[in-house]
Amino acid sequence: MKIKIDGIEVDVISGETILEAARRAGIHIPTLCYHEAFGGQGICRMCIVEVKEGNRTRLVASCTYPVNGEIEVKTSTPEIERIRRNIVMLLYRRAPNSEFMKKLYEEYGRPGDITPSDPEESCIMCRLCVRACEKVGANAISAVLRGTEKRVSTPYDEPSPDCIGCCACAQVCPTGTIRVSTMPGKYEIWNKAFEMDRCESCSRPFVPQVILEHVRSKLGPDFTEEHLCPDCRKKKTGKIIADSHLSK
Amino acid sequence: MAGDAQQAAALQEMERIIVRYPAERRYILAIMQDLQKKFNYLPKEGLQMTARHVNAPMSTVYSMATFYKAFSLVPKGRVNFKVCDGTACHIKGSQVLINEIYQCLGIKPGETTPDGEFSLETVNCLGACAIAPVLVANQKVYAKVTPAAVREIIKEHGGQINEPAVNE
Repeated sequence: MKIKIDGIEVDVISGETILEAARRAGIHIPTLCYHEAFGGQGICRMCIVEVKEGNRTRLVASCTYPVNGEIEVKTSTPEIERIRRNIVMLLYRRAPNSEFMKKLYEEYGRPGDITPSDPEESCIMCRLCVRACEKVGANAISAVLRGTEKRVSTPYDEPSPDCIGCCACAQVCPTGTIRVSTMPGKYEIWNKAFEMDRCESCSRPFVPQVILEHVRSKLGPDFTEEHLCPDCRKKKTGKIIADSHLSK
Repeated sequence: MAGDAQQAAALQEMERIIVRYPAERRYILAIMQDLQKKFNYLPKEGLQMTARHVNAPMSTVYSMATFYKAFSLVPKGRVNFKVCDGTACHIKGSQVLINEIYQCLGIKPGETTPDGEFSLETVNCLGACAIAPVLVANQKVYAKVTPAAVREIIKEHGGQINEPAVNE
């Protein structure tokens, strides 16, 4: 099936989202809550596009809109740009305290020129962290409360028994809101401390036991019991490869 | 210990409520409504039990519990004040009543006094706009409430008032 995005003909697989089709064709659509690994969430609305089906046009979130027929898509119109500027303005007003948001606010020409409500806040509520936690299989964090008070946290803001300390949430966070405080041999995230096990070869602390257990439960018998840090594992693998070549 | 026995009974009651529902995620809300009805709030153990029963993460259940205003995560007081903050009551001064309750008891909407006697919540409309502003103490409805009346209502329900400086 073919659709037109900004006048360019793009091949799409039925059911694929407009955003996916556009990205594949190298057409840029701005996003905040989208990540290839998770698919569209339809939260931030930055990816809004105009869809023309027959004589009817409407605005849709391209990250969640599946292509099922002949459509024409425009990724930028004055109306769409106005909506995007508005989103950036509101997000900056909520959470100005990150390089990411500051840059975005400048990029969109400082829309609204408003005073942020809390200069320290940095979370833009994209919920990529929640999706990351879900994908890892821990499900320790979620969006709590509602409306202007809404935020991401663990139940009761307490250290969650479900958190395995993988830090995927912190890694995926675009604004660096989720903090991991590292100390010698351990680290803390979501108010929970994780003691790291030592590498059996170089005795450097490298991973907490809970993560190993989690991976073991996911991989089952495929999980090797070797207790090596990434460096030592690399060395060992390198040696195996080298040896196998030398013996030939 | 009486406390332990009470706690055990409460846990049993939660269990009884929860297992009435099939172990499916779509029943989370219904279970929480029943828990809220029985306990006047959602006990933490109840939510954990619900999560285990329907095989959902605790974070999901907690997210739902905090989303709805109808659910409370803190125990309600012996006397629960509902101050109507619908349009009519709002214009007729419901905020003044809320302030007066704060002055007298030191609680804001959603809070409970440390002794567990009183709690306060705002509701959006009780459908009695003709008698605005309306206050409901447990099941009893008070019409056209004034700050002075608030003090009387608190006393009527056995409350001690922190006498503020505004004694006329």
